[in-house]
Amino acid sequence: MNLASLAFKSSWNRKSSVFLTLFTIAISVMLLLSIERVRQEAKSSFANTISGTDLIVGARTGDIQLLLSSVFRIGHANNAVQWQSYEYIKQQRGVAWSIPISLGDSHKGHAVLGTDSSYFTHFRYGKKQMLAFAHGRAFVNGGEVVLGSDVAKKLNYHLGEQIVISHGMGNTSFHHHDDNPMTIVGILKPTGTPIDRTVHVPLIAIDEMHGSGHNKSPRIVDNPLNKPSNEAAYSHDHHSQSEHEHSEHEHSEHQHNEHGHGEHEHSKHGHGEHQHKNHQPVESKPGDLIGEPKQITAFLMGFDSPLYTLQVRRNINQYQGEPLLAIMPSVTLRELWSMLDIVEKILLLFSIVVVLISLLGMLTTLLATLNQRRRELAILRSVGARPWHIFSLLTGEAVIITLFGCLLGTALFFMAILLAQPVLQAQFGISLSLSMLSSYEVKLLGAIMLAGTVMGIFPALRAYYYSLSDGMSIKV
Amino acid sequence: MIEINNLVFSWPKHPAPTLDISKLTISQGERIFLHGPSGSGKSTLIGLLAGINAIQAGDIKILDTQMRQLSAAKRDQFRADHIGTIFQNFNLLPFLDPIENVMLGCQYSKARKSKLTQSLQQSAISLLENLGIGHTLQAKSVSELSIGQQQRVAAARAFIGQPELIIADEPTSALDADSREAFIETLFNQAEKYQATILFVSHDHSLAQLFDRKVSLNEINGAAQ
Repeated sequence: MNLASLAFKSSWNRKSSVFLTLFTIAISVMLLLSIERVRQEAKSSFANTISGTDLIVGARTGDIQLLLSSVFRIGHANNAVQWQSYEYIKQQRGVAWSIPISLGDSHKGHAVLGTDSSYFTHFRYGKKQMLAFAHGRAFVNGGEVVLGSDVAKKLNYHLGEQIVISHGMGNTSFHHHDDNPMTIVGILKPTGTPIDRTVHVPLIAIDEMHGSGHNKSPRIVDNPLNKPSNEAAYSHDHHSQSEHEHSEHEHSEHQHNEHGHGEHEHSKHGHGEHQHKNHQPVESKPGDLIGEPKQITAFLMGFDSPLYTLQVRRNINQYQGEPLLAIMPSVTLRELWSMLDIVEKILLLFSIVVVLISLLGMLTTLLATLNQRRRELAILRSVGARPWHIFSLLTGEAVIITLFGCLLGTALFFMAILLAQPVLQAQFGISLSLSMLSSYEVKLLGAIMLAGTVMGIFPALRAYYYSLSDGMSIKV
Repeated sequence: MIEINNLVFSWPKHPAPTLDISKLTISQGERIFLHGPSGSGKSTLIGLLAGINAIQAGDIKILDTQMRQLSAAKRDQFRADHIGTIFQNFNLLPFLDPIENVMLGCQYSKARKSKLTQSLQQSAISLLENLGIGHTLQAKSVSELSIGQQQRVAAARAFIGQPELIIADEPTSALDADSREAFIETLFNQAEKYQATILFVSHDHSLAQLFDRKVSLNEINGAAQ
């Protein structure tokens, strides 16, 4: 029977207090690991959302605001870019590619992004990965739509189905463009970015649905693309954030029935059919994807050389036609991090403090029970245990408690991730991986173990001196 | 076996010495009754004999070893190897079973382990049987044993690995009169098997007649008033 098993058995003898302490440590460990995992995954999730894009251009606003609205679908652009400006700028020397994007509409709470075919050939995310199709293909004419993987999964859409895109960001938009049903021709593979929750349509579709709807709509005045009016902003804030997240399901049912009217039979029929013969590609003729848009929300650009990036960026920022802003996503992302840095640090600090408190709890328990254990120490001394044996015994106990606290905490952490995964993915687009502990997390656990051991030194020192002064005489 | 010469010991912050023994000799296999009321310095003497406390003046020789020349760690080792101890009561670690408690006697001593003829566990079991703790009692938890039974387990722990000196510090004071003599009888039987010396400390005079020799600490301790 060695010292470790002696420490283990002695701890087991006081299991109720030991378990409480252990559980406190476990919860604090879970908290620390979860916060750190979410923080890191959020960061990498953000960093992975866009890749290989040299410039993002939008109407003049804050750098971070433009980045958030154009890439992360967070917030909204207040102004738009004139189509002529886009046409002009993309002709500049050194421009390798450009992707126009038009945001502001939604389909059952999912952002609708109007673009052209360059989106599918040039957009990169993660580590310069291209968008890949799980089923189907990119759109080739104005009546086709490509879904992000989450949209398809959540709304149970399949290739060939017809859907209706509504105007405005809210789920509760009053007017659905019943006259413009669009055919799903492609479903993207999951990317772990907001693209998964985006409905991609050709620019012309956005133009058309607003053009046909603008008579009925009080919100669309003369320019169908100028939706980020104050009203739209209001409706966005309110509906898209909370309301339609909650009532999504009811609404989707509801809407289906409502806007299905004309083709009710058809759509139902379609549904049933596609349930069975699912991933059949949809045949269609190529057509105009762009139409005659007057405005877009923003555009992404890639350049042949970084030299051109800086040059064109300067030109855009000084563009005479209208006030425009060009940002370099990587730079702006870094700015965003430095802004969030203090929040991150506070979060980390808090979780570290919680861990420390739990370890102090252990220290208190060990010190409190120590006096009752002086007999135990005296007996051990009488059979020849040296003071350092006593010291190691007490330290060992702290190590055992911390170790099991860390193990249990890690288990709880994985459970928490498992539970939080779908929620975080749906609400914030942060994809948490249920991967093994990273080396950083292992280091965190190591630091906790070290701190626990250091805590154990205090009662151990005291026991050491008890054992020196009490000797074999039992003083209890 | 034990030779004490001119031993003077005072605790820190106490100007007057607690112990002042000019001469005490105990021979191998002797069974000594050390009579000491509280305050006579018996805990101090036990601490010095067992090597818990360092000798300040004079010397103690146990088994031809000058205790004074040993470092604290060596004294701990010496105690582990050569001395078995029985306390007044609650001798046992409550989180170990009786057999494990007995095995603890050899925990810190290779020398005592090497004297065993059987495995450590088997030795513990047979020693317990010899001391009247049978199979069913061995399986019980320590807290379920009566005080008398606990003291027998403690005695087994003291005797395992045949240490030359057994120090028993009022081991019978929690027992009733009948079990006292029976317990002492058991100690003697066990000690006789390998000529162990027994230093039995008590303030109960009635037990003195069972022993080879009675030593009154008050008489030999010049510091006691």
